[in-house]
Amino acid sequence: MVFIRRYGTLIGFVAILVFFSVMLPATFPTARNWLNITQQTSMLMVVAAGMTVVMVMGDFDLSVGSAASLAGIVAALMMAAGQPIWAAVSIALAVGLLGGAFNGAMVSLVGILPFIATLATMTMFSGLAFVVSGGKTISGRAIPEDFGNFARGGIPLGDWGGVAVSLPNLSIIAILVILVVWILLEQTTFGRRLYAMGGNMEAAHLSGIAVKRLRLIAFSLTGLAAAAGGLMYASRVASANPVQGSGLMLNAIAAVFLGTTMSRHGEPRILATVVGVIVLGVLDNGLTQLSVDSYIRQVLVGALILVAVGAGSLGQKRR
Amino acid sequence: MSLNKSTLALAGILLATTALGTGAAFAQAKVAIVTPYMAQPGTQFYVEAFQAVADENDWDVNVIDTAGDVAAVISRIEDLVVQNVDAIVINVDPTQVTAGLQAAKDAGIPVFGMDAGADPLLVTNVTSNGYAMAAETSTYVADRIKGEGNVVMFVFEAFPPVQVRGVVADAVFGNYPDIKVLDRVTPDVSDGGIADSRAKMEAILSANPEPGSIKAVWAAWDQPALGALQAIEDAGRSGEGIVITGIDANPQAREAIAAGGNFEASVAQDFSGIGAATADAVARVLAGEEILQSVTYVPTKLITKANATE
Repeated sequence: MVFIRRYGTLIGFVAILVFFSVMLPATFPTARNWLNITQQTSMLMVVAAGMTVVMVMGDFDLSVGSAASLAGIVAALMMAAGQPIWAAVSIALAVGLLGGAFNGAMVSLVGILPFIATLATMTMFSGLAFVVSGGKTISGRAIPEDFGNFARGGIPLGDWGGVAVSLPNLSIIAILVILVVWILLEQTTFGRRLYAMGGNMEAAHLSGIAVKRLRLIAFSLTGLAAAAGGLMYASRVASANPVQGSGLMLNAIAAVFLGTTMSRHGEPRILATVVGVIVLGVLDNGLTQLSVDSYIRQVLVGALILVAVGAGSLGQKRR
Repeated sequence: MSLNKSTLALAGILLATTALGTGAAFAQAKVAIVTPYMAQPGTQFYVEAFQAVADENDWDVNVIDTAGDVAAVISRIEDLVVQNVDAIVINVDPTQVTAGLQAAKDAGIPVFGMDAGADPLLVTNVTSNGYAMAAETSTYVADRIKGEGNVVMFVFEAFPPVQVRGVVADAVFGNYPDIKVLDRVTPDVSDGGIADSRAKMEAILSANPEPGSIKAVWAAWDQPALGALQAIEDAGRSGEGIVITGIDANPQAREAIAAGGNFEASVAQDFSGIGAATADAVARVLAGEEILQSVTYVPTKLITKANATE
């Protein structure tokens, strides 16, 4: 029974892959399409990896989308003002880190529920993005060509059936971020302590874990990842507007939830989050190729989460 | 048990998508429209008119709305390229989706702009002609004041689509020896443009107190025209016959024009016409024709009291 509950989602994932491969044999299961998918999901991958860190503790961060938008705007404004790309990117990442630390301070030091604290900072970051940009989209010549070209570049992998394929730069960043989060959560005491806090915050505190400090650090990392995701987005569209990251938040939470249905006790695991993100990306990719209405796709994603999580909790109750 | 349930439900979802997605026959031309702005009223007119032409041509049209997400437009274009569709239509600033346009170009798939902005990676961009819109209203003004008198212009040089309108009005008024441009005002648009235009117009009215000393107000878009209207009415000078024109024919402007006051004319873009013309361009390219114009203009329509409520 545990086996079924734990691997039901994975089996479902494989079923989706098989389904699209049968329906779109010439285009879906190709290297080029999969490299596309890794690139298309790279921004969500990074933001969801960051979201996993706080969700391990049983917390949420609703501000990641706004933080991503703000980071993109900050970088774009600095580049428009003639600053070098490295400086713009560093400052934007610092803004994300600070925003995350502010979330952490509100949650751990002041003691506001994460849902409420990050709901408040979500509107604050979004408002700030509007204030500094004047509500405008920063695009065109204001953005250095190199910044936009980064998202279009990659490491050439050679020819595949006559088509040149390459591993996109954005995919490489996503893989690196996943690797770092995996090491952090699965291989360090920091990660084990976060999981302990997720199991029982009070017990973790009593056993001597510096709960407040770790929570602050965890939220900071989530903010940093959100900013990185926002910068990747800005590079991909070679522009920035104050709302462009807003779609990332719900998708990131959805991906982590999909992932939790694959772990032993329903706790978030980074590799499970990766599967969750790929499920969302594959649905977008495959349904577009099948010419399914984009609104139907939204209904399907919601239904999928209910099915996956619902099956998991039914299995749990029966035990 | 739970496995059976979830796989059953999944199978159901997947079967449903099969039924939804693969009804189309294989011989049809596959054309996709990708836009992040489906919720905006203009976009819906474009798309409906496009689909009407597409139905006549028996195309398989896939309309994709990314709900404001511009990066998703790139992703969907990449998917369409992999799917090897016959043509792609976008309704988004092309400079923001260069990555997708490049992928389409590399695959030899033509991409069309539907009021998107000109770009070398597009076959053509179908839009309204800003020069022509300004010509409509500036000649309306010149004709109404019988080619003589003082005109106040509201312009905005910083935004290229509005800047070109001022250029045409300058040329038209300059061609009448007895028309004098009294003032060329650039209003502060940070609050929407109406309030500051009204303040600027109030100052001009005070400086020119004689009835008949201002014959017309030509505005490069509707907001300054509405601000000027308020200033003229509040100054009690609406009886002098000062002619006001705007451009864009937004709902507030149409209301003012229909009311029959000083605000007499504006110009409306033909959104349905842009959609139909885009579909025509796609049809021509699918038939093997080469389109030379990088921009295809669709005629606009002068809005006066006679048709303001249509």
